[in-house]
Amino acid sequence: MDLENKNKDHKSKSGNFKLPKLPIKLPKLPIKLPKPPPPPTHLGDVELPKTLMYLLPIGGLFTLAFVGAIGSFIITAWWGQPIPVLGFEQTFDQPINFPHTVHASTKQLDYKDADGNVMVGLGTDCTFCHRTVNKNTAAGANAYIPPVNFCANCHGVIGSEDNVQLNILRDAAGIIGDDGTSPINWRRVHRLPDHVRFVHEPHIRYLSANPEHIKGETDGVSTGPSAVCSTCHGNVASMEKVYQVEPLKMRQCVDCHRDNGAPTDCATCHH
Amino acid sequence: MTTDVEKFGTRNWGMIADLDKCTGCQACVLACQAENNIPINTEDRVERARSISWIRVERYWEGDFPDTKARFIPIMCQHCENAPCEPVCPVYASYHNSEGLNVQVYNRCVGTRYCANACPYIVRFFNYWDPVWPESLRNHLNPDVTIRSRGIMEKCSFCIQRINRTSRKAKSEGRELEDGEIQTACSAACGTHGIVFGDLNDPESRVSKLRNHKRAFTLLEQFGTDPNVIYLAKIDPNKKGSEEGHH
Repeated sequence: MDLENKNKDHKSKSGNFKLPKLPIKLPKLPIKLPKPPPPPTHLGDVELPKTLMYLLPIGGLFTLAFVGAIGSFIITAWWGQPIPVLGFEQTFDQPINFPHTVHASTKQLDYKDADGNVMVGLGTDCTFCHRTVNKNTAAGANAYIPPVNFCANCHGVIGSEDNVQLNILRDAAGIIGDDGTSPINWRRVHRLPDHVRFVHEPHIRYLSANPEHIKGETDGVSTGPSAVCSTCHGNVASMEKVYQVEPLKMRQCVDCHRDNGAPTDCATCHH
Repeated sequence: MTTDVEKFGTRNWGMIADLDKCTGCQACVLACQAENNIPINTEDRVERARSISWIRVERYWEGDFPDTKARFIPIMCQHCENAPCEPVCPVYASYHNSEGLNVQVYNRCVGTRYCANACPYIVRFFNYWDPVWPESLRNHLNPDVTIRSRGIMEKCSFCIQRINRTSRKAKSEGRELEDGEIQTACSAACGTHGIVFGDLNDPESRVSKLRNHKRAFTLLEQFGTDPNVIYLAKIDPNKKGSEEGHH
């Protein structure tokens, strides 16, 4: 009897089983959250359809998602490179599809020459074309892009006559066509933030003297000034279309200057 | 390359302006205007006392008629060691770097104009308008100098672009900077070589030697700003006792 009663008691207890209380007490919010207003049923005298009650929160969710997307875009663009959408890509279609692989790489390429042989990159030094980059001149601030005539020195002869891309160059250099010479409007890929005075020369000089600080690898020649470019520009020799690899923000500049004992005085770059 | 760091901050740039050599020709003013992309001071800007000139030649008269003498004194940013403009800036746009320069960081400046009010030498200028140049002068602008937009303060930088460029050149050639190698625009343009620029920390430099000249004085010494621009007083052969400056 007692046993049965006990069993019954046990059963009745298990029937009213309650969840154990959480070990942590959640603190109460210091402010009272306002209750969301009831969805509108009337607009003036017109009764709104009941489906609106479901549509409104969906619209709200969409708005949240939209704002969140824009917010995350701004945050990523602030800390690094922007998400490559809506023209924020780090690469562009250039007037001529100039392949850095053919000129700078030292490896085998996907291209085949006129005779059907597999091409190997030319392995040109970066400074062969970007001549001012390691010069300490006012123009040396930029790694300049060579004038059309410089390209035409080789491509007046080298390359098939049916090559469409090369013919754009030859036309611009005045070799074919009769409209004279015209510069090519290359689009700039690497652009530093405003108010920065960046000169390549001291950076190339320092990294050439201290090769242990060079970052990245290159498919191109790995001696001379070309060996150091990958630190900021990535493996350009492997790029069909050049794109920006590093965000090139002030944080990156200052970090590297600190690591390498370069001056971090404002007037070093901003003047 | 620790030598670079050790070298940075050991210098103290300074300037000597010999008033005895100054003829008031304003070549320095013009050179500065061209070097530093200073907008042209049109008539209406001057009328409103909003003209910008990083260096100006002030003229004053000495003596009574008929023995009046015209005196000239070029005034640029004095790059004070105790600069009154620096502590008043709320955004640290005006600060003193370790090479003795009073640097204006344009991208920090928000245009409160506190510094211009604090400066006793009136050498800081506010951009009330966006700078404009006639079309013919567009390609004459110096690419090494920032064009200051509307709403920020600017002043003489001791031609910091020239300092940086020349130091860089010396470093890439693996040698020390020579005294007198760095020329500011005004010192290069001065026809009588009255403006000397150099390192005050180097005891062998020309500026250090001229600094201890008996004619040396600084502007508004009583304010204790300790300028890095030192003037040499005018010598007047007809007047005794005028060898000491009146400022």
